[in-house]
Amino acid sequence: MKDYLKLAWRNIWRNKRRTLITIASVFFAMWLSLIMRSMQVGSYGHMADGIVEAFTGFMQVHKDGFWNDQTLDNTFAYNSDMVRGIESDDNVKAVIPRLESFALASTGELTKGILVVGIDPVKELDLTHPDRKIKEGRYFNQSSTGVLVSGRLAEFLNLELNDTLTLLSTGYHGASAAGIYPVEGIVEMPNPELDRRLVFMPLPVAQEFYGADNMLTSLVINVHDSDDLKNTKKNIQELIESGFYEIMDWKEMNPELVQQIQSDQAGGYIMLGVLYMIVGFGVLGTLIMMTTERRREFGVMVAVGMQKKKLGLILMIEMLMMGLVGAASGIIGSLPVIGYLVHNPIRFTGEYAEIFESYGFEPIMPARFEGFYFAGQTAIVMIIFILAIIPPIYSVLRLKEIKALRS
Amino acid sequence: MLNPYMHMKRFTSILTLLLVALIVPLVTVHAQDAREIIKKADEKMQGEETSQSIMTMTIVRPTWQREITFKNWTKGRENSLVLVTAPAKEKGQTFLKRDIEMWNWNPTINRLIKLPPSMMSQGWMGSDFSNDDLLKESSIVVDYTHNIIEEEEIDGWDCYKIELIPLEDAAVVWGKIIKWISKEEFLQMKSEFFDEDDYLIKTELAYDIKTMGGRLIPSRFELIPEEDEGHKTMVVMDEIIFNQPIPDSFFSQQNMKRVR
Repeated sequence: MKDYLKLAWRNIWRNKRRTLITIASVFFAMWLSLIMRSMQVGSYGHMADGIVEAFTGFMQVHKDGFWNDQTLDNTFAYNSDMVRGIESDDNVKAVIPRLESFALASTGELTKGILVVGIDPVKELDLTHPDRKIKEGRYFNQSSTGVLVSGRLAEFLNLELNDTLTLLSTGYHGASAAGIYPVEGIVEMPNPELDRRLVFMPLPVAQEFYGADNMLTSLVINVHDSDDLKNTKKNIQELIESGFYEIMDWKEMNPELVQQIQSDQAGGYIMLGVLYMIVGFGVLGTLIMMTTERRREFGVMVAVGMQKKKLGLILMIEMLMMGLVGAASGIIGSLPVIGYLVHNPIRFTGEYAEIFESYGFEPIMPARFEGFYFAGQTAIVMIIFILAIIPPIYSVLRLKEIKALRS
Repeated sequence: MLNPYMHMKRFTSILTLLLVALIVPLVTVHAQDAREIIKKADEKMQGEETSQSIMTMTIVRPTWQREITFKNWTKGRENSLVLVTAPAKEKGQTFLKRDIEMWNWNPTINRLIKLPPSMMSQGWMGSDFSNDDLLKESSIVVDYTHNIIEEEEIDGWDCYKIELIPLEDAAVVWGKIIKWISKEEFLQMKSEFFDEDDYLIKTELAYDIKTMGGRLIPSRFELIPEEDEGHKTMVVMDEIIFNQPIPDSFFSQQNMKRVR
């Protein structure tokens, strides 16, 4: 066997140009598919994060039936025993209380329907990091009684720091909810849709506004490891009183997002498929060309007494070597590019960016490293390569020496 | 030539004429009577000129209950002003009705809001009385045709059962209303409200007849929506004074902000 390997290796490098062309075709196949895949995976992750980490969190506990009927009458009282129980789960990073409801926001002439988000000023820091998003003014402190307004909303209502915002709504049990609040800060939400309609309030202030003392619409749960979400969800389900509470994960709360990702993924696979076809044929072409070029050489060897089987074996080893070199260099070559894109995602501008924003996403195309797709791509490219080897080897095995010698 | 049957013919036609002459007025009188009954019943509660009252409304739901106390001034059919006095969260809000427009003043946010048509079908302050009901209640005399269809006893009172059908071009949400009005004292003991497809939507019942403001009137009302199990709104009349003069200027936006 060692002889074969030596023979194969020497054979390859006898014709450098031919070898390099073959290696290059595999290299490109690997390189391109890895980069494309990293960007696809990055986009989905970005879309999911945009919603999950910015707003809904990984899971939420509500009063049973709240999700289908999101009114204040479906709120529940804060139960510290239950919260402690949930927090004791290993995978749970934080349990964050929220009171969210609709309200009309107005300044003088302009009015807009918005979402009031009552947050625990301290606990919320672990989830959506509102303190990092402050554009003007400052984040809540212990004694705050004002509001934080999202950027585009503040623009629409012509609000500046320390202006007064009027809020009007229907409260708990049909009470009137009305109040005026100073603008303590303006926050910038990366998701444009959220940026147009959020008003943050300290939780007690929101509870007072809606006449919903000690009531919450949800407990948002943040986890350490999002891959283990299913198990954590099951554990928490056992802790909470069934029939009274419901627990939902971010996929259940955002079915449209999940479908969007799925349909995008399908498109992505098709693109990859096309790429593989093109590259596959490229590789096949190179290999056939190589075999045809060396026909005379093969003819001589067979005529002199070499068994076709052994010739075939050596050729196969030659091709596999080239394939492996190409694949390895493709993987290594892709790493710096993907690394760069992870930290400096492509940022869209102009009309294309607007399309993104109208769907509610930040207009970037980020990339992600994720072990499984590296392995997957490598496997696929190798399989394609092996398939491409078959026709040329086959033709060698069926070689007619006379014809070959005459070529 | 004389027709031998001529006398017979003449006699029949005179008889028919007489019968028609007798019945038509009876029927019209009946309809007129019905209208008069409704009108009298309406004036009994609203006062012929003005009324001032203090009422407590209780909104009952399967899982909770809420009480609102308010003062109510009315003049004629077009003007009314309501001032909410309890609970603390609602206190100070006023509602002004002028003709077909309704306004709301909220002192907490210092805003005067005109209720848009889209809000008319919503309950007033979350109750089962819709804004539309409160606005249009006075039109039962003018916007409908009235007919006595039966006589029934409700709670020991002999009542006329009167059917009210809205006029063609009346801007009214009901397809039909049936009211039981007591023969004596013209008390609106019971009302049933139907939509255009003849489905019963809500029922209003009157209780606790006593003398208030110098008249014998019900002091408690219950409004029960048909569709929602366990929902109802009760209104109790705490005090009422009839026909004390109230100036027109009382029913104004400026007064909404000042009235106590």
